[in-house]
Amino acid sequence: MMAAVRTFVRERSAWPWLAVMIAFVTVVSLSFLLGQSLRLDEAQSFFQTARTPSRLLELVAQDVHVPLYHLLLHVWSVAFGNGVATARILSLLFFAATIPVVYLIGKENFSRRIGLTAALLITISPFMNWYGSEARMYTLLTFMTVLNQLYFMRAWKKGGNSWIGYGVTAVLGMYSHYFFALVLVTQAIFYLTHRKSFQEGALKRLTAVAVAVGVALAPWLYFVFLQGSASSTKPQLAKPTSVDLFNTFSQFLFGFQTNYINTIIVSLWPILVLLSFLTLQRKKKMDSSAMYFAYAGIIPIVFAFLFSIGVRPLYLSRYLIVCLPALYLFIASVFSSYSTKFRLLLGAFLVLTMAGTLYVEIVSPLTPVKENYLGATRYLEKNAEPQDVVLVSAPFTIYPIDYYYVGRASVLTLPLWDRNKAGSAPAFNAQTLPGEVMKVTSDKQYAWLLLSYDQGYQKTIKGYFDGHYAMVDKQRFSDDLILYKYKVRYDPVVNLSAPATP
Amino acid sequence: MKPNTNIRPRLSAFQVPRTLILINIILAVAYFIAIAFFFKIGNPVLFGLLIAGEIFHLWQTIGYATTIWRLETPVLPDVVMSDPVDVYITVVNEPVEIVEQTVRAALAMDYPNHTVWIMSDAKNAGNPDWQEYEDLAARLGAKCLTHTVKGGAKAGNINKGMLVTTAPYIVIFDADHIPHPDFLAKTMPYFSDSKMGFVQSPQYYKNHAENAITAGSWEQQEIFFGPILQGKQRLGAAFMCGTNMVMRRTALNAAGGMNETSIAEDFLTSLFVHAKGYKSVYVPEVLAEGLAPEDFLSYYKQQFRWARGSLEVIFRHSPLTMRGLTWRQRFQYLASASYYLNGPVVLVNALFPLIYFFTGQVIFQISTMTLAAFFLPYIFSSLYILETSSNYSFTYRALSFSLGSFWLQIMAAYGAITGKKVAFAVTSKTKLGGSFPRLAAPHIIYVILAVAGLTVGFLRDGISASYLTNAAWALFNIALFWPFIAAAIGRPSWIPSEKPAEERTS
Repeated sequence: MMAAVRTFVRERSAWPWLAVMIAFVTVVSLSFLLGQSLRLDEAQSFFQTARTPSRLLELVAQDVHVPLYHLLLHVWSVAFGNGVATARILSLLFFAATIPVVYLIGKENFSRRIGLTAALLITISPFMNWYGSEARMYTLLTFMTVLNQLYFMRAWKKGGNSWIGYGVTAVLGMYSHYFFALVLVTQAIFYLTHRKSFQEGALKRLTAVAVAVGVALAPWLYFVFLQGSASSTKPQLAKPTSVDLFNTFSQFLFGFQTNYINTIIVSLWPILVLLSFLTLQRKKKMDSSAMYFAYAGIIPIVFAFLFSIGVRPLYLSRYLIVCLPALYLFIASVFSSYSTKFRLLLGAFLVLTMAGTLYVEIVSPLTPVKENYLGATRYLEKNAEPQDVVLVSAPFTIYPIDYYYVGRASVLTLPLWDRNKAGSAPAFNAQTLPGEVMKVTSDKQYAWLLLSYDQGYQKTIKGYFDGHYAMVDKQRFSDDLILYKYKVRYDPVVNLSAPATP
Repeated sequence: MKPNTNIRPRLSAFQVPRTLILINIILAVAYFIAIAFFFKIGNPVLFGLLIAGEIFHLWQTIGYATTIWRLETPVLPDVVMSDPVDVYITVVNEPVEIVEQTVRAALAMDYPNHTVWIMSDAKNAGNPDWQEYEDLAARLGAKCLTHTVKGGAKAGNINKGMLVTTAPYIVIFDADHIPHPDFLAKTMPYFSDSKMGFVQSPQYYKNHAENAITAGSWEQQEIFFGPILQGKQRLGAAFMCGTNMVMRRTALNAAGGMNETSIAEDFLTSLFVHAKGYKSVYVPEVLAEGLAPEDFLSYYKQQFRWARGSLEVIFRHSPLTMRGLTWRQRFQYLASASYYLNGPVVLVNALFPLIYFFTGQVIFQISTMTLAAFFLPYIFSSLYILETSSNYSFTYRALSFSLGSFWLQIMAAYGAITGKKVAFAVTSKTKLGGSFPRLAAPHIIYVILAVAGLTVGFLRDGISASYLTNAAWALFNIALFWPFIAAAIGRPSWIPSEKPAEERTS
């Protein structure tokens, strides 16, 4: 009886900690992140979800995503408004909800301490905090991943109704992001390598879930097939390198840092070898749960990396956010194998470093993922005149400019793109560039060239302007967002409102 | 003291899935191919040294993988043996009270026809109390043979004993190795096979929880007496380990007796016995319990002796050219003996960061991440294989003791190559106090140079990727040597404090 009471008290005592963690991410988000400029991807979210549901589905189908988040954001916007901060709060909710689920996974599969440690790492994760304040599907994807993993572990160890939860979350996960498939693939691999530890009939149930996911996803895939794609509406991805591979792990732990800080972090990789050697302790066995999280934290990354090298580049660390909670759970379980002193020392170091890098990520203007389109448009609104033209490249970066800009100059893209016509942006052609520039600047005084998301031709465009016009202003708004002002015409401007002089 | 056979220490070994073993080999080969052929080379001398070391690591990885590919536990033949057995308890200067326990336990073994002999080299060694062993034997009902002809060390002790005794089977126990009553019952039936040359059982250290040195010593032993010997058993290459073994007299005679030319007489004699076409069996069950060296000097001497003896096999009795061995046996003997060549490889790898700090020379001119992308999967999979195969009995401390022994391995290699004579060092059965910083001098010098190098490198390059990676490797090496240094200078509190738990099973 007393033991039961003690257990109850102990179990209850975790929840205040979780409440503090949720409060922390909420305060961080509300104080620092919700007010930041709209980012390119978010602008796409707004562009797509501000339509009717049927049009929304068409646009998402032409894009590279699945529609659950967009539909939720659409409903959310209808209910609470369509401001940037309002939309970001939806992501914050999924982020906050992820924290107790991670705790539950850790507690059920290891211990309360490991659950709390993993939840703490999620809470202070610079990566999660960033996407917890971005109007995109990544925290929804993370939430679905951890829910799915919670049910998967229960189904694996206990069976029963957990298979239903597993199936439902598998379907919802697949409608959150295509990369969720890697979670399921990892679980299949885990089943193959640990099938003896599964309950009897697990293969049948896993197969049933796979069929259910296939059936549930089939209509969407057919719809996508009917729509075709609009590949040029998104940045083209390059083949990843080994640096990208390690940057992914670095970003998962320490967020988006400048090249200098990143170099420091990833260059210390031999420390990882030392830490793995230090786990060599008598009878401190890596149990199957830890092995699952090692699988779930690494296999999708390796798979995406190899696929991107061998087949088609699709490697983006944010797509691989499905690995992040598993990685934290694995780290927390590894830490528990160290002696108490070393665990506390190492844990404190990791937590302080993560918290520090979270701070740097938030406050530093050099944080590479920051996209200050708001600053750029405010500057343009103030300085660009009706006789000027704003030229945006890459073309798809027009979305965040469109969202904010209420200035007097006309805004066009390079290459020129009529978004009222169906289809993607035209491919860049160096031969037609002079003609396009001439066409849009012939009756203008100044051209404001706003460059970001280099698609491989930014240098050519910039070179053309430098070679033909005089640059009179340059402003950098964030790491990858630079505005150039060129004087494109030298005859005097006729001011029609001024009285004629004799 | 009679060991309780109902509470028997357990040895750990686990059959690793062969898919994982195969993946480990693939990752090792991929890493080697990548660094050998695809990376842009920096300093060619450093590159050559690295490649030489990595060839050795690849050899070790493949050697370990093939050894543990399938572990085998022999099936005890269902026969009753009653042939005469002579039990030799070899002594030189061990405390009589320790020898007494062993003699009593040997006399108490369940076997109808065995004679216990104290084989004493005490008088030859100048032990003033040599008569105590004779008194002990007389008191307990055993026999004592005090040799008066010098020479041959332990092997000579046994050979001289064989001139006097006549039983067709000979059991060897070190003075401190107390047999369980069923020792002969669980070893003798294997000799129903007329080609069985010897039967070896584990060398278990019952004092492994005594201190960090006994613990580290046993943790190193455990992986050998666990997966490695069980793998060698399958390959017909289990070899003698000096104690807790039964030998067929005719097999030993065919091999020319215990080999007196090597300080690892057991290892070399096994080789000769196998070359004569005799078989061996390793019984993975603790049938006798002995003592690990309790002080660092004894541990160091023991390791040196094993290293020197094993390397002599490579340089003077190459298994590759010895007639009568199967290729599996050749491979296994070479793999075991060459383990002690790791010393130069450890040293060279440890020096790479220092060379960078002081000269700016690097092995590769590539992104350090590219190297990591190949190295990390290989090292993590190797670590996992090592841990699972030993059923999680291998420890950081054991790793540190193994790699920290690099200097004694280099000295042993030097001795084996040059033939420089080294005095036979008996492992002390009583604890010697004090600290032995001299034995860790190379490690301490390394730490000092690393700290100085960190400063020099920083002043030259600042915080560059190369500087940071080399700094991390230097830290890695210091951390790896740390338990070895701590043990040498007698600061066990500096060693990861985990003591091995008493693992006994009914």
